[in-house]
Amino acid sequence: MNNQIALVTGASRGLGLALASALSREGYTLIIDARDCDALAKAAAEIGGQVTAIPGDIADPAHRAELATAVQAAGGLDLLVNNAGTLGAHPLPALADYPVAELRTVFEVNVIAPVALTQLLLPPLRGRGGAVLNITSDAAVEAYAGWGGYGAAKAALEQASNVLAAEEQTVRVWWADPGDLRTEMHQQAFPGEDISDRPLPGAVVPGFLRLIGERLPNGRYRAQELLS
Amino acid sequence: MTAVMDFALPAELEAHEPAEHRGVPRDAVRMLVSRGSADSVTHHVFGELPGLLRPGDLLVVNTSGTLPAAVRIEDQLSAHFSTALADGSWLVEFRGHNSTGTSPAHLDRPAGSTVTLPGGAVLTLECPVSWRLWRARLSTAVVPYLLRHGKPIRYSYVGQDWDIADYQTVFARIPGSAEMPSASRPFTPAVVTELAARGVLIAPVTLHTGVSSLEEGEDPYPEPFDVPPATARLVNHVRWDGGRVIAAGTTVVRALETCVDSDGLVWPSAGWTSHVVTPLTGVRAADGLLTGLHEPRSSHLRMLEAFAGPDLLRRCYEEAVRAGYLWHEFGDVHLMLP
Repeated sequence: MNNQIALVTGASRGLGLALASALSREGYTLIIDARDCDALAKAAAEIGGQVTAIPGDIADPAHRAELATAVQAAGGLDLLVNNAGTLGAHPLPALADYPVAELRTVFEVNVIAPVALTQLLLPPLRGRGGAVLNITSDAAVEAYAGWGGYGAAKAALEQASNVLAAEEQTVRVWWADPGDLRTEMHQQAFPGEDISDRPLPGAVVPGFLRLIGERLPNGRYRAQELLS
Repeated sequence: MTAVMDFALPAELEAHEPAEHRGVPRDAVRMLVSRGSADSVTHHVFGELPGLLRPGDLLVVNTSGTLPAAVRIEDQLSAHFSTALADGSWLVEFRGHNSTGTSPAHLDRPAGSTVTLPGGAVLTLECPVSWRLWRARLSTAVVPYLLRHGKPIRYSYVGQDWDIADYQTVFARIPGSAEMPSASRPFTPAVVTELAARGVLIAPVTLHTGVSSLEEGEDPYPEPFDVPPATARLVNHVRWDGGRVIAAGTTVVRALETCVDSDGLVWPSAGWTSHVVTPLTGVRAADGLLTGLHEPRSSHLRMLEAFAGPDLLRRCYEEAVRAGYLWHEFGDVHLMLP
């Protein structure tokens, strides 16, 4: 008996798809988005259950407004997963050489867009004691050469999450590092390298389900710790 | 509506300051214990609680922390931030200052007018909710603002400002209550340790309580609450196992009773609750209640009556007055066992 509603961004592949599929199996009604229209349609079919798929770019305010309209049509929101993100320039350049226009895009997609979407969706989340899960990275806290753009943006998202948690009374706020996963984004970061030793995204999903299902306290989590 | 219990509360039975400041450790305040099954009323100190419960009993506590929710606007006027609403606005009570403290004030302003608060934050009055309450929106996040600019709400029986630490319980984790969830104030690390060592279980819920300054006959307003899954499972397990669920505070009763189904099972839930527990609704999720001593005619007395019945409750209050128990948030407590 689950009549909860979740919105997962960037759900056409990787962690977003794995998480959306698992939430659907738990009985959630889902709203998903991704930029690639065909991949999103395929993902929606794979996820099954009650899914509304809305193609678009999370950095586009009109698309975010469409998502908010879909939430309204669904009758509310219990969980927002800000998963969509961009790696930025790749192969990963040193900050010394980072194209500034690209850096701006990384912040636009990985920080501004999730914060703006959260702003739109806080009223329905508050009304139902909902939760926001922001997907971040260990690159937000560790100094990995080449990860200056992505890592700095994820660090900003983490601090935005941290402040949001201090400001909101009835909405849970989690920011979680899934660890290295065998995804397209990870392959982009390590072009030509064999990343088959990294676990598939599905491996960390039970950890996230525990975080969500147990309504653990606000804060930063690592998937590995949630699994243990 | 059933009649609410009335009695005379002598002025000398009002607690004016935190127990520690009258030389009584937190866990040494007095505790009246009533037992429905034995129809008895006995006198104890709070530190005896671990011995009065049984291994396998479950104490459910409120992790809401007390906000410094009163903001002085000008010499004669304060705003008490009571409850966050889903759209980000708050219920705000205005209070006028007089020689003995403050009293509810009617702010005769048109909707949409603004009030500038200390630090430059602007409060927009969106819509009057009652004679003394407005739905209002602050120009900045309310909780961080209050932590910086607010003082704990106090009424005329408390003669001076006390530190916000005096208003926190040992279980406080999430700031959000306009007034202290005071039933848990006597708990100390030593008492909690003794409870654990004796096999008494403790589980958390969160309910942010609004201002208590309700007018006569006014029901409490909706309040944000959270009953997490692990706590719901524990409550169900303990009751199935024959243990007793003791709510530490009326806030905990309100949260649990919001999530209980007709079979007495508690389901995890979060949001706002408008549920008001009365002898007519009864209680299904809790067997006992630890609470303070409540004012004559206050709506909480109807909840207490749902636990003890009118006759035993009346005896408790006669006994408390006779024996000189102290009332209000810094006073003594009352443990109601089945």
